[in-house]
Amino acid sequence: MTQQELTAYIQSSFEGKLTLLDTGRAEPMFEVRPDDLLEVARRLRDDLQLKFDYLCNMGASDTRERLEVVYSIASTTRRLRMDFKLVLGYENPAVESVTPVWPAANWYEREMNELFGIEVKDHPDMRPLLLPEDWDQGYPMLKNWDAPDFVRMPEL
Amino acid sequence: MGLIKKVPVYTESIPGGALVATSLEAVLNFGRAKSLWYLLFGTACCAIELMCTGASRYDFDRLGMMFRASPRQADLIIAAGTITKKMGPRLRKLYDQMAEPRYVIAMGGCTIKGGPFYYDSYSVEKGIDHIVPVDIYVPGCPPRPESLLEGCLHLQEKVRRQKLSEWQEK
Repeated sequence: MTQQELTAYIQSSFEGKLTLLDTGRAEPMFEVRPDDLLEVARRLRDDLQLKFDYLCNMGASDTRERLEVVYSIASTTRRLRMDFKLVLGYENPAVESVTPVWPAANWYEREMNELFGIEVKDHPDMRPLLLPEDWDQGYPMLKNWDAPDFVRMPEL
Repeated sequence: MGLIKKVPVYTESIPGGALVATSLEAVLNFGRAKSLWYLLFGTACCAIELMCTGASRYDFDRLGMMFRASPRQADLIIAAGTITKKMGPRLRKLYDQMAEPRYVIAMGGCTIKGGPFYYDSYSVEKGIDHIVPVDIYVPGCPPRPESLLEGCLHLQEKVRRQKLSEWQEK
């Protein structure tokens, strides 16, 4: 399956739950609504044409207008790659956990929860991962984050 | 050189040999300065230079510096590498476990003032001198082995100048 065939297949068989974004990259990037995430993830993994069985990478980003959660997945048997992302607002951001679908998401979701404050629903093991145990200074990866000893790079 | 001074001794020849008189302080300081065992504490890229200094080309052992894997056997922490805010309390705990007198060398920019992580970093401690008292600062990113050796020679000089009465207070 080529990239064009993959894009066409996903657009035809996911009832509009994955919308193609124009990124100018070779691999397709889709957007998914937060409510559809778990169902779409399961179908991407279990569809016999796709079999996306490998979560390469996932993470969140703060664009100053919204939060985005990006998932990069690959199929080891069908030799496919694709990305999809979902968009969240700053008010109580929350996503479903995809750890039941791809166990690799476990630590990524813990990190995301800790650094961005994105709540991950139904995560099996939501303990702090990276920050000190007594951390109480909020979510440091948000762009508007600040702390008493945080020094911003001066404008040059 | 002139950096390492000799132990002050008074010698007097007697039949069949010589009589040597010196101060207890000088002898103890001589022994301490020549056997600074350091704790293995490499947390980032400075540790590579520390390993290089310990290996055969630069040869730390000739200064009497042997690495120890336990803080209870070490006299010196060479803090080699970035100390994050999570690592800070661990560093303090290791320092507290060492027997006195104990010394700290801050190796590299990160341990001195946060180094390249001074700006825009939420996780890096801006200098280890507000966690543990630092004796010698060795600047560089990372410092070359020559710099570290120079720092250790300066520390030896500092140890040699110690007074017996100061040991309790340190």
